[in-house]
Amino acid sequence: MSSSTREKVMKHLDAVGYLQPAVHKPQHAPYPDEIDHTMYRAYTRSAHDVGGEPDVPMAWEEKEEEQWELNTFATCECLAWRGVWNAEERRRRQNVDVGQTQYLGLPYYGRWLLTAARIMVDKQYVTLTELVNKIDEVKKRYE
Amino acid sequence: MSEHKAAPMVDEVSDFEVLEMAVRELAIEKGLFSADDHRRWTEYIHTLGPLPAARLVAKAWLDPEYRKLAVKDGVKASLEVGVDWINDMPTHFGTPSDYCNLRVLEDTPKVKHVVVCTLCSCYPRPILGQSPEWYRTPNYRRRLVRWPRQVLAEFGLQLPADVEIRVADSNQKTRYIVMPVRPEGTEGWSEEQLAEIVTRDCLIGVAVPRPGVTANALRPIHPAVHPVQHDHGHDHG
Repeated sequence: MSSSTREKVMKHLDAVGYLQPAVHKPQHAPYPDEIDHTMYRAYTRSAHDVGGEPDVPMAWEEKEEEQWELNTFATCECLAWRGVWNAEERRRRQNVDVGQTQYLGLPYYGRWLLTAARIMVDKQYVTLTELVNKIDEVKKRYE
Repeated sequence: MSEHKAAPMVDEVSDFEVLEMAVRELAIEKGLFSADDHRRWTEYIHTLGPLPAARLVAKAWLDPEYRKLAVKDGVKASLEVGVDWINDMPTHFGTPSDYCNLRVLEDTPKVKHVVVCTLCSCYPRPILGQSPEWYRTPNYRRRLVRWPRQVLAEFGLQLPADVEIRVADSNQKTRYIVMPVRPEGTEGWSEEQLAEIVTRDCLIGVAVPRPGVTANALRPIHPAVHPVQHDHGHDHG
């Protein structure tokens, strides 16, 4: 591994380290007898079901919309309009399947966007290779 | 062109921007939808805003028969303020996210309604436009259903203790707007005048209309790095 690659890998691992589950324990992936009914229920609730959770007051702000956010909304609606996904699977993918870390950690439309990419790959409209190549192609336009 | 902006971030393209372009271009190349579909949908979004909902409320304040209709059948009442929930969409079959049930929540001097979507961000877009970012935050969704009085106070709406607060939790099929109590000092006003004081925040329920107040409360604005370009003719400046 070249030293610059090593540096990148270490930086990545440090960043990922921040994304551990919120309940920090010395051993992740605990023994089965360490999960009682309370924790089982907490772990199996879906991440978007937040109503009533305690939280502190925050400053209410307005946010200007990014062009890519509007485009993402239109893309997701067009995928629905043309039958690529229905409302139920779309909502499940955007709100539940992403898991707690991405649900809370990504911007609102960032979550929508990842989900749009995933539905196209999962339903085999595009291969993962095509997606990766397209991302590279787009990046090169800005180099 | 952008020399007046702060340097470093401006010309940098974010990972989200790259992925957005990649996904959209691939979807079009593979024929999942057309570039024209995407353009039409974007244009449709640009036509949306809170004005039709404000007009619905103003009209209902002035016309008791229409008020009954609004409370009974919000979708039908929408037609009279120019919103057809089925045929206005570029789809011509309603919203692709599959909702067409608008409920109008009628406030009284002793009952105040406020709207949330605890599970996601359901919002009556066809009649109210795009939801504000704060409405989508887990914080608003977490707390409004449990501490509504406190949350409303944070929005500047302090309600007397004898006013009951009812929180409506939107869902996939059903979306809500609030019809606030017509405020004093608006006697003899026209529908247009009344509609002006029914702001987006009033329609969500975090504010109440007041004569002379025609905008949402002033809040800090988080600016976009590359904001939406409204390049379709009717720029409001």
